[in-house]
Amino acid sequence: MNRNSDKRKSLLVFLGRRWALIFLVIESLVFSFTTEAFFSLKGIQIVLFYGTTIFLLGTAETFVIITGGIDLSVGFVMGFASIVSAKIVVMLTNMGVPPAISILLGMLITWMIGLVPGYVNGSLVARLNVPPFIATFSMLGITHGTSELLIRGVPAKNLPYLANAIGNGYFIYLLPGKAISFFNKPVIQRGELLLEIIPNMVVIAFVFILIFAFLLKRSKFGQHIYAIGGSTDAALRAGINVKAHLIKVYMISSFFATLSGTVYMLQYVTGKADAGAPFLLDAIVAVVIGGASLYGGIGTIGGTILGCLILSVLETGLRMMGVPTFDKYIAVGVILILAVLIDQFFPELIHREE
Amino acid sequence: MDDDGAHLAGEWGLIGNGVGTVNLKWSSRLLIPVAKNWAVIFLFLLIAVFSFTGRGFFSLTNFQNIIHLSTIFLLLSAAETYVIITGGIDLSVGFVMGLSSVLSAKIMQLLHAAALPQPMSILIGGMVGIAISFIPGLISGTLIARLNVPPFIATLGMWGVTNGITLHLCQGFPISFLPSKLVELGNGYLLYVLPGRAVSFLHKPYGLQDTQIRELIRIFPNSLVFSLVVLFILWHVLKHSRFGQHTYAIGGSMDASVRAGINVKKHLIAIYTLSSFLAGLAGVFNVFQTGIGNFTPFSSMYELFAIAGVVIGGASLMGGKGSIVGSCIGAVMIRLLENGLSISGVEPFYRFIAVGLILIMAVVIDQMFPELF
Repeated sequence: MNRNSDKRKSLLVFLGRRWALIFLVIESLVFSFTTEAFFSLKGIQIVLFYGTTIFLLGTAETFVIITGGIDLSVGFVMGFASIVSAKIVVMLTNMGVPPAISILLGMLITWMIGLVPGYVNGSLVARLNVPPFIATFSMLGITHGTSELLIRGVPAKNLPYLANAIGNGYFIYLLPGKAISFFNKPVIQRGELLLEIIPNMVVIAFVFILIFAFLLKRSKFGQHIYAIGGSTDAALRAGINVKAHLIKVYMISSFFATLSGTVYMLQYVTGKADAGAPFLLDAIVAVVIGGASLYGGIGTIGGTILGCLILSVLETGLRMMGVPTFDKYIAVGVILILAVLIDQFFPELIHREE
Repeated sequence: MDDDGAHLAGEWGLIGNGVGTVNLKWSSRLLIPVAKNWAVIFLFLLIAVFSFTGRGFFSLTNFQNIIHLSTIFLLLSAAETYVIITGGIDLSVGFVMGLSSVLSAKIMQLLHAAALPQPMSILIGGMVGIAISFIPGLISGTLIARLNVPPFIATLGMWGVTNGITLHLCQGFPISFLPSKLVELGNGYLLYVLPGRAVSFLHKPYGLQDTQIRELIRIFPNSLVFSLVVLFILWHVLKHSRFGQHTYAIGGSMDASVRAGINVKKHLIAIYTLSSFLAGLAGVFNVFQTGIGNFTPFSSMYELFAIAGVVIGGASLMGGKGSIVGSCIGAVMIRLLENGLSISGVEPFYRFIAVGLILIMAVVIDQMFPELF
């Protein structure tokens, strides 16, 4: 009998640890049956394409939340970056720089500028002891105001066509049985089936996410982030330069927000101040669903990506079913509370002893 | 004066061990009250600056305007004050406000279309709007107190749920065609004076010519009366009742309050319900003010501005500290800044930057002189 209950418990543990994955599978199955388009090459790629923003903002938020902080500014830093990059690209193109170079330069310069809000956030939090909530909220106001000033209420436009081609292009184009080409769309006859595989932006996003996931999991830098989140005092005593470290973490977060701003610029060929505003909630929810604790010290990029996928599948699936997108918010709120409740009720299940 | 200085030094433990003979330097004697009341001083500074830069800023009409437009922010900030004093946070207030606003407007619209008398439909709609606002607070309070969900997450969840329900109710459009009496009440004044000719209460004097309307002086907006009554009750409860003292105690130390025999769980549920109720009150009032039922758009971020007001007013997000008066000053400061900037011809976008900077300043002052507060 004892063995039986042990078995039962181990099954529960198994399920409890993977509840997010199970939820994702069930959710995908439901949408596959209720809509025709969901379970297809196109459908899955739409999930990834719309998910890019949440993937990037979620990664940004993961780093900060592991240190026990929160970054409310990611949404508007993203909008700020989309505007700055659009402005720079348009300016360079007007000066006669070839579009490819101006887009590349625009993105690189924006990534540099994007480190500034993070540096300020980090300095406020680490050096002046301002609570992260307040520091990043102030930064939200400042980036929001600055980006509105830059565009004066009109979304940035007149971007070169190449931006659209990159942002909405695919990594691999496949003409079954005939040709395969990378990045460039082959010329096709009417009625021919062209397979488009993996959107460019998803590739870019995941290259960066993988690099930083590796950094978080395998490097000393990453281990120190967990240490700070676990206990700042202990980290200090262990000789970690907590202040410098925190500043770097907020800069990483701001970098990912900027990255998603430039991705937005390429995807939607515009720059908008409130481009990222609705995604702040989604990003935090994804991190929490992924098993991170707002008290710090716990969380993984893999978990966050899982959380992002749950939200992205939910959004895409509901849209394909024709359910008004408003209802998504109810679902997101309920999932968030459920995630925390599961975490509260079965702490032994979720956090394995390592 | 010397006595005062020594007293101050003792009270805040500034110099020495609080021995009565310590003399404060005149500079710190000046600095303490300035830093302690920086919000008030800053408010007056803003008024002074805007009076020079903006024509028509320093006038009865404009001040009443600012107060009138501050009403919902005052209520939301008061709601946050209670929650923040307990060491929690309520991110759902903005969307609970939207829910109450849309629901009460929807009911008023239906009853009005069914040809019910106006006061009747307004009353029923308002009551339902306020009644519904208890529910989100009750749920998030229960999650926080009984199920140990962090306040940030529980109220963020409610944020999503209430926002979704609101948008579902109104399908993304404001609700209009409401009883006309609504706006008269919400935008009315207690006293109307037509200099030398007529004085009337609560409604404009009858038989006014078009030219006379410009000369009409309106005094004491109804919204001010409303917010004064609500805020006075909240101030009194927080400052002088056992409920208020327990709120501070919970924020100071949860463990100590449990040991002191306070029913912390029940108290927390009550606090979150109160916060949600105040948000509902603000939502219903918003219907009176605008004449439409408005959902809360994402980028308006009412909850964050309410929290900003509370923090500017001297509360600590760690709990245990804060006051209704301080929060009101903070909330009015944000509105005044907005109003003054736009009257001075500054583009509205600067206000986001300004609020951000003031907020950082508030916390940094708080951090630099912890002994003062």
